Amino acid sequence: MHRIRRWAPGLLLVSPSLILLGVFVYGFLGWNLRVSLSDWRGLRPDYAYAGTDNYQRLPDDTRFTDDVENVLVFTAVFVVGTLLLGFLLALLIERGVRGEGFFRGVFLFPMAISFIATAIIWRWLLNNAGGAQETGLNKLFGQVGLDFLANDWFKSRGTWAPAAIALPAGWALSGYVMALFLAGLRGVSDDLREAARVDGANEPRVFWHVVRPMLLPVVMSAVVILAHISLKTFDLMFAMDVESRKIETPALYMWFTTFDGLNFSRGAAIATLLVAGISVVVVPYIWYSIRMERRR
Amino acid sequence: MSETEAETESDAEPRAAGVRLESVGKRFKGGVDAIRDVTLQVEAGEFMVLVGPSGCGKSTLLRLVAGLEEVSSGRIHIGDDDVTNRLPQHRDVAMVFQSYALYPRMSVRRNLAFGLRMRRMPKEQRNRRVAEVAEVLGLEHLLDRRPAALSGGQRQRVAMGRAIVREPRVFLMDEPLSNLDAKLRVALRAELSLLHKRLGVTTVYVTHDQIEAMTLGQRVAVLRDGVLQQCDRPQEVYLHPTNLFVAAFIGSPAMNFVDAAVERGVVSFAGVTVPLPAGSPLAEADRKVILGIRPTGFTPAADRGWPTLQATPEVVEELGDERFVVFDVAAPRVDTDATRAAVEASTADDALLLPEDRARFTVRLPTDVPVPVGEPLTLSIDPGRLYFFDPDTGDAVPS
Amino acid sequence: MTVAEVAVDDGADAADGADVAPTDGRIRSRWAPWFTTLRYGALVALVGMFLVPVYVLVVTAFKDPTEVSPSQMWALPDSLSLDTFRTVWPEMEDGFRNSVMMAVPASIIASFLGAANGFVLAKWRFPGADVVFPLILFGMFIPYQAVLIPLNQLMSDLDMHDLGGLTLVHVVYGLPITTLIFRSYFSGISDELIDAAQVDGAGMLRTFVFVALPVALPAFAVSMIWEFTSSWNDFIFGLVLTSRQDWPVTIALNNIAGSQVVPFHEAVAAALLASLPTLAVYVVMGRFFMRGLMAGALKG
Repeated sequence: MHRIRRWAPGLLLVSPSLILLGVFVYGFLGWNLRVSLSDWRGLRPDYAYAGTDNYQRLPDDTRFTDDVENVLVFTAVFVVGTLLLGFLLALLIERGVRGEGFFRGVFLFPMAISFIATAIIWRWLLNNAGGAQETGLNKLFGQVGLDFLANDWFKSRGTWAPAAIALPAGWALSGYVMALFLAGLRGVSDDLREAARVDGANEPRVFWHVVRPMLLPVVMSAVVILAHISLKTFDLMFAMDVESRKIETPALYMWFTTFDGLNFSRGAAIATLLVAGISVVVVPYIWYSIRMERRR
Repeated sequence: MSETEAETESDAEPRAAGVRLESVGKRFKGGVDAIRDVTLQVEAGEFMVLVGPSGCGKSTLLRLVAGLEEVSSGRIHIGDDDVTNRLPQHRDVAMVFQSYALYPRMSVRRNLAFGLRMRRMPKEQRNRRVAEVAEVLGLEHLLDRRPAALSGGQRQRVAMGRAIVREPRVFLMDEPLSNLDAKLRVALRAELSLLHKRLGVTTVYVTHDQIEAMTLGQRVAVLRDGVLQQCDRPQEVYLHPTNLFVAAFIGSPAMNFVDAAVERGVVSFAGVTVPLPAGSPLAEADRKVILGIRPTGFTPAADRGWPTLQATPEVVEELGDERFVVFDVAAPRVDTDATRAAVEASTADDALLLPEDRARFTVRLPTDVPVPVGEPLTLSIDPGRLYFFDPDTGDAVPS
Repeated sequence: MTVAEVAVDDGADAADGADVAPTDGRIRSRWAPWFTTLRYGALVALVGMFLVPVYVLVVTAFKDPTEVSPSQMWALPDSLSLDTFRTVWPEMEDGFRNSVMMAVPASIIASFLGAANGFVLAKWRFPGADVVFPLILFGMFIPYQAVLIPLNQLMSDLDMHDLGGLTLVHVVYGLPITTLIFRSYFSGISDELIDAAQVDGAGMLRTFVFVALPVALPAFAVSMIWEFTSSWNDFIFGLVLTSRQDWPVTIALNNIAGSQVVPFHEAVAAALLASLPTLAVYVVMGRFFMRGLMAGALKG
């Protein structure tokens, strides 16, 4: 009994947060699941169980499958591109440059801006109007002789339209990945690198054999965070080109089908799938991080 | 004393109280037994040192007395109170931590006053006490500084001051000198002793340094793997260790050990034969023992009729007024759990840089006659300063 | 790569002129100055690329409205003017005010709660704390789509489809990250400090208030900045939970800029205005921003 006196005050202090999160996260997730298994359409809630129809119908829903394709394209380009760019930035800065603060500041500031504002600017930069109306990056490319790079960006036909969105997204998040890699690269103890150098390794070898293996956790962190952001991103596409199916993702479809189409049950089903998709990546990551932390 | 009475302190005389541990045990999650059935009595006003290698449980024991950990079994009494189930706030003990644990964002003054504030002592009384203690420890000019602006020695004094100002029944100290460099440590040792004499508060002091233990403690409690090995005055522990571990742990340089055989009233090893003292209980025995001889148990003098040993010095350490000579003996090295634990080696390999099968002795010799490396030397063994231990249990064998 | 000739780097690289180049004291190969030039060159080019949108933003927003046209996007202004801002501001004003009234309290409350949570999880353990923390953490990763429908319902039932409801929502969903930030931070302070407070007579609450909080000021900065930025920049919760008079600035911005009728310089100026507070915070307290990022990657 006496032991309780020790930890009870702590539990009490965190209980408001636990209750709030219990309701707003886990309670809502469960609630959402329940809605997804109902047939609620229209403004009045209807929780009667209606089976898994909503899920079963999704693979046949071409809008949904197109959206899945879009998000996969976007995720692939976004994650890989941002990883590479972020890594490059970190590599350039890592050894120490004069004005490091300035460089870091420039690469990181896009994170402070909302995705809406980002979308507004980039919508114009990636504008595909032609002729006298030409503007944005296309026009810039023309002026510096890089005409061949001009394209329809997010209004392109075909699978690659969503990849254009990876540009503003990458612009916004490369700084973050850079920060992760910087911390990772600088975390490699100098002793290790110096031992390798004394042993005769030149710089590229030092990097490959000593530094690279220790970057794996950083890469993992970055991939998990980028991937989950890309799956749930809503603001960016919404503000870029709200009507366009070319860049629509399941995250947006959920919105439209629920709040425009009033098909709550289908929206909930899509949302549940999003959670499942993200959990596949995030849950092992959290579990792994906690394990690593305990071992230290 | 009820809990509420313990919280309000008056300016009465320091109420030193004894500490009694009855069959205290502590098991951590995961089944590790950090403390096993320890029974110990610290008298009121006594300076008791808990000593042992790392992991022996001494810090855990201290934390149990403080109430920072909860006992798994047994009871703890401070003075007349059974404090086993009391939180640290209500035990009226004060603790000095190895890292000092000064509150970083508070001035020295507020650091000192914190415990008194927590006990709701009126401001005037608080300020008075803080001023007194600051004067005793020479901290008056530092009162408005933050810990970050103090030197190591100054922080140490503030940590002590924080404990003293509370006028607790017991002081607990967890290796407070370990973070200081060697010379400062030696100087502060003496200061600590003086402080104790002056204040007369019961003190339980933890250290891994057996020299600190011997010099500071009125009594020394030697711990190994959570079990109390011996608790006695320093001289007693030195001259009459109860087992191999205590013998190996206490004393610097460590005691020399060798496998020996006792029969027909003599003990022999490596071709050396030493007669047992008259009236020794081992006189009729016929058994194997581990023989221990302290580095000071040898002399170069050949005139006392003592048994001699031929030695070829391999290493000679000159320390000004002392000289330590290291040589090998033609007998196997004694390598037991106890001897390894005493030097904190977990496997046989840890204690040696180069593998060695033979026993290695260290002997303290006077510095008047030079001792060159490699030249054979004759050493006399004092038969009155031998220690005998059972090879299986490690217990001391009466001799 | 062989080191044919070794030259000691005395700090006078060709790239840097007479200034001391960053050196860790190592003997460098003779290729080093070229690599350094390459590095700086690449960095400057990348900075240029990153700032392209900023260039467009600034140039367009400050241009005289009569000069503005999409095809002239890249041209520098002939004359500067604040007219565009003046046109756009009245439409942003309410949204701005709402966002301030929401983001500031949300960041303060979420930070205090996060500090309490972080402290207990890091230092005052209770049975099950090891399970609770990952559960809290997961809340950081959930897609908001998954809670929109229940949230919408609950807020309707509670009649909280207003700024208060939005603030509550930001506090709740900000808890995982603020908790993470503080827990990381408190893990780094020594256990002995907490022990000392206990032995000195403080219980959990007093230890938290008098010992832990004063030490956690840097974490507060990080947490407040992160939570403020995140609440200010949110869009989807605003969309679900608020109507015209409670719109945060992001909704206002989207309404102005999303419409096809509004000229692009107004959209861009509005975007700039809407981003000013978070940018200001970023400029002033940048290094805390970076620390917040680190916490987000679960680095202990």
